Amino acid sequence: MIQVTIQLLAFFAAAVLVIIGIAGMLFLDNLIKKIIAFTLLSDGVNLLLVAVGYVEGGIVSILLPGMSTSEFASRAVLVFPVGIVLTNIVIGVSTTAILVALAIVLYRRYGTLKASKVLKGERR
Amino acid sequence: MTESISNLWSIALLVTIPIFATIIVNLLFNRNRAIKYISLISALSLVVITILSPYGFQWFTGQPALNPNTLTFTFDASIPAWRMALEFYFGPLQQVLIFVMALILVLVIGIATNGLTKNQGPYIGMIFLLFMSAAIIIMVNDLYHLWIAVEIGSLVVVGVVAASGEGIGQKAALKYALFSALSGAGLAIALALILGLTGYSNISDAIRYIQTTNLAGMSSILYVAFGFFILSWIYAGGLVPIHPLKSEVYGAAFPHGTAMLQAQSKLMLVAIGLVMLRLFGSLPFAREVMLSISVLTMMLGVVMALLQTDLRWILAYLIVSHSGLVTVGISLGTYDALVGGLFQAVNDVLYMSVLLLGCEAVYYFGKGTSTKTAVGIAKKAPWLALAMVLGTFAASGIPPFNGFQSKIILIQSALKVGLPEVAVVILILSVTTFIALFRGIYSIFLKPAETTPLAVSGSVPSEAQEDDKETPIPRGLYLSLAILVVITLILGVYPDLVIRFLTPVAQAVSIPWYP
Repeated sequence: MIQVTIQLLAFFAAAVLVIIGIAGMLFLDNLIKKIIAFTLLSDGVNLLLVAVGYVEGGIVSILLPGMSTSEFASRAVLVFPVGIVLTNIVIGVSTTAILVALAIVLYRRYGTLKASKVLKGERR
Repeated sequence: MTESISNLWSIALLVTIPIFATIIVNLLFNRNRAIKYISLISALSLVVITILSPYGFQWFTGQPALNPNTLTFTFDASIPAWRMALEFYFGPLQQVLIFVMALILVLVIGIATNGLTKNQGPYIGMIFLLFMSAAIIIMVNDLYHLWIAVEIGSLVVVGVVAASGEGIGQKAALKYALFSALSGAGLAIALALILGLTGYSNISDAIRYIQTTNLAGMSSILYVAFGFFILSWIYAGGLVPIHPLKSEVYGAAFPHGTAMLQAQSKLMLVAIGLVMLRLFGSLPFAREVMLSISVLTMMLGVVMALLQTDLRWILAYLIVSHSGLVTVGISLGTYDALVGGLFQAVNDVLYMSVLLLGCEAVYYFGKGTSTKTAVGIAKKAPWLALAMVLGTFAASGIPPFNGFQSKIILIQSALKVGLPEVAVVILILSVTTFIALFRGIYSIFLKPAETTPLAVSGSVPSEAQEDDKETPIPRGLYLSLAILVVITLILGVYPDLVIRFLTPVAQAVSIPWYP
């Protein structure tokens, strides 16, 4: 029987966020809602990365005074996924900014935020 | 070339010079004269660095991927050493691909700084970032930097396309940005899955772990990661089923911008393709999936090109279609096929640049690039017509141009692994490329000017038609075309000038094709 752990729950939550994000980006018609769906997708990826680095009963990966290196090595959470999460946050913000900028430009040109109309080039 | 085992100076310069150039030209914004000199000097320095640099690596943690016997970098996963490094590698493949990209960068900047009058700084900055993302992606040997380079490259593509300022460009940019968000997230998930499965971000380490550990029930995770990699590969190269989207991107950008976009796209295809071959090449059906996508891309791209009536859009679909040739070589994965695929990537960048810069020159006659409006240009610009015809010969694989050499290697390698149907598709692609291109070039250059249907049809004139003014083609554009045509001819006659740079990687990465 599969043991329900925090890590497993985190994987499940990440999968839910990713699926909602992808579905929202593909099926929602409003550009702003598509962008919000992308932020959900990005958050899902972040959660997946954090879950990958999770260690049961782990500690922050900073070698504190008095701590032996063997204790640190056995208990510290994986630091690399955390670094990737930081990068993903930066990339997520950049992508969101570009998407919002394009949505503004296209709204000014076509007077609507509906992707179906904007991409056909119809005005409201 | 000697190979250094200390951090290599040129790798850092190949990444930082474009970044500094971007910052400076952005600050200069509209001071076009200063932007022109600074950007040309920066681009030329990148060409020189690529030529002069020895081979070696730059790594951030752990050890570089060294062969313990020779103390040189190796892709060979059977070498029993854990690298654990985030690393960049500059070797023969990287040298030739980055050199070609840097050459295109110089030519494109020369044209863009003469042609554009407004907001030159940000646009030239984005062209530099395109180069930087492509250079990183071809040099990385870890999934973390691969993902970052793909993300940066995607966002810059969006910027270059939107910079055309037309509605069609902004719509293409929006669609591409949405798909880039999806595929970028997919690549991040693939990175997380491989990191979770193997514990390594370094590609050589991950391969070693996968090959030496019994993954048993965990192999399904590899397939999921492979699926996300495929998504990213499709997106990077505009392969089937998103070929219309990528073609829209190519068609909507300025033609000189498209020359850079297609060069970056080819480098991304090669880099991601090689990583996929190394990581997943031994998975059942992985290479079959890659090959199917490649063949479909070749066929659908060229059919779409045949339907177009605008030279810009004919080229846009042909670029996508010819991406399939590159990926066929990588998908087959044998030594010959890899050499053919990689050589095709180099040739493709060169001959498509000839055609795209020729297309840019057609704009100077003030009637756009539609085969219905721009006619009879050969009389006014015979040298331009000649360059376009020679570019068409190269793209169609007609000897003695470079396209012939790579296509013949690909055809032979497809026959060698027992897939004559792939060889037939490559042949059909060559013939149809010739038809699609020559149809457009005949109408624009050779058709008599009096048969223009503009007045007959009574259609609403487009923006380009209204601006019915001829301006002289800059000498720099002619010079760029001449340089590229000469290179395509030289590589057609002496293919070994490039092939000897490709064989080490092909030897290290190749996998036999199983029936």
